[in-house]
Amino acid sequence: MIKFRHLIWMVIAAAAAMLSVSQSHAQKPDVGDEPGLLPDDSVELDPQFRRTAVLYRTTEPPGTIIIATAERHLYLVQGNGRALRYGIGVGREGFQWQGLLNITRKAEWPDWTPPPEMIARQPYLPRFMAGGPGNPLGARAMYLGTTVYRIHGTNRPDTIGTAVSSGCFRLVNNDVTDLYERVPVGTKVIVRQKPEL
Amino acid sequence: MIRTFRGGLLIGLAVATVIAAIAITYERYDTKTLKRTIRRGEVLCGVNKGLPGFSIPDAKGDWTGFDVDFCRAVAAAIFDDPKKATFVPLDAGERFKELQSRKVDILSRNSTWSMSRETSYDLYFPAVAYYDGGGFMLPRARNIDSALELNGSKVCVQADTTTQLNLADYFRTNNMKYQEMKFGKLEDVIKAYDSGQCDTLTADVSQLYALRLNLGKPGDHVILPDIISKEPLAPVVRQRDDDWMMIVKWTLYAMINAEELGITSTNIDEALKSKKPDVMRLVGTEGAYGEVLGLPKDWAARIIRHVGNYGEIYERNVGSGSKLGIPRGLNQLWSAGGIQYAPPIR
Repeated sequence: MIKFRHLIWMVIAAAAAMLSVSQSHAQKPDVGDEPGLLPDDSVELDPQFRRTAVLYRTTEPPGTIIIATAERHLYLVQGNGRALRYGIGVGREGFQWQGLLNITRKAEWPDWTPPPEMIARQPYLPRFMAGGPGNPLGARAMYLGTTVYRIHGTNRPDTIGTAVSSGCFRLVNNDVTDLYERVPVGTKVIVRQKPEL
Repeated sequence: MIRTFRGGLLIGLAVATVIAAIAITYERYDTKTLKRTIRRGEVLCGVNKGLPGFSIPDAKGDWTGFDVDFCRAVAAAIFDDPKKATFVPLDAGERFKELQSRKVDILSRNSTWSMSRETSYDLYFPAVAYYDGGGFMLPRARNIDSALELNGSKVCVQADTTTQLNLADYFRTNNMKYQEMKFGKLEDVIKAYDSGQCDTLTADVSQLYALRLNLGKPGDHVILPDIISKEPLAPVVRQRDDDWMMIVKWTLYAMINAEELGITSTNIDEALKSKKPDVMRLVGTEGAYGEVLGLPKDWAARIIRHVGNYGEIYERNVGSGSKLGIPRGLNQLWSAGGIQYAPPIR
């Protein structure tokens, strides 16, 4: 009797597990990248993701960018225990790397050439898209080292604070433009990830 | 024969009375708080009777808040059940005496740790749970982002508080002038600010965020990142019960270490399978760190599972998950821009 009851539970558990696996593997369009969509400027960011001057103690010199991916915040160190904090969106799984990079190039209304890895994942993406309001890279881009990753704007301001799209760091266009004006090529960018268990 | 029987009865009664009296005294004055707590089956926590974000009861008498969660964490460590904490609202004036007279096991009541409080009441503040301090709120339109730009301001402040003294010190040390607009009641301070009688308002930062909620358009006002005074809020226990003090202290440190190691209430089961030595020591899969506290091996895992790590408790009650929305600031981990730092468990 007890064994029979166990069996029933096992069948239910197995069915539930299969269902959840099949759902997580289902092909979903990537909400982070919607080429052609014009940004909805009326989107209001959650207060914690709005640009704010905050207390921030660090040994890094003023002008350094520190990206705390788990927190979804980008800090621009101001010195004297302060920083400007911006809300960001981060990659779903792509960018797990942690350490120091430099801004190697800056561009206004950048063109977009999705890298081959991205095309392989999302074959429906265009091979090239000229810069402009409908471009997923948004108003500005800052290129990180020799990687395919960037700090850039977005045409999806509602994705700030979330982990979607490929590995890049997204800010709303107003914020990325503000940051762009404050940092030169050569700026140190420190990426911090959530600790692994 | 009858006489001896009566005498025996009397002696027996006397002995019973003495034993009962000793038992009662023992129960009340046993210096081992952990033993008393376990016998009672719950932790008694002295809290503020109503401070949004820190401790407040709802209509059904269920308590929530940062200070409340800290007590629940202690209860979780001891009983594996965060509900085994009973909250006793205490007035500011009575709180230390009530703790001293054993009415509660812990005071978790936004109490500032200072030397005189620790020495004159025979108490211990085991560790800082929340770094508060004086700050400034002002209209966003003024476009000021440092307190050093406040020279010549009219400042609203509550009279006869340490805040008022700290304000004077801060402006004097930084060679700035200001005009003080003082009021006896906090309500009048905020009313004066709201009606534009002053350029900025000063109070403890946690208080400023609560006050801002009551303004017409909270979003039109900013709270500067500058902290101009030290108000370290800490739990409080009695002196001469080191075992209990250790439990309270390491409950907080377990929550801070958990955040630093990336262990949360949602991934605690995964953490229990971890092979990373510092994770294993914290969750109890290696070593005997609970046993030396007089608690089970999984004491910290219980805290994290039932209540969460430090960051979870912060964000839920006073941070981004709450109406207050106070940025982590000083209460961020030392490795992420703040000063919250826990000694390692090893």
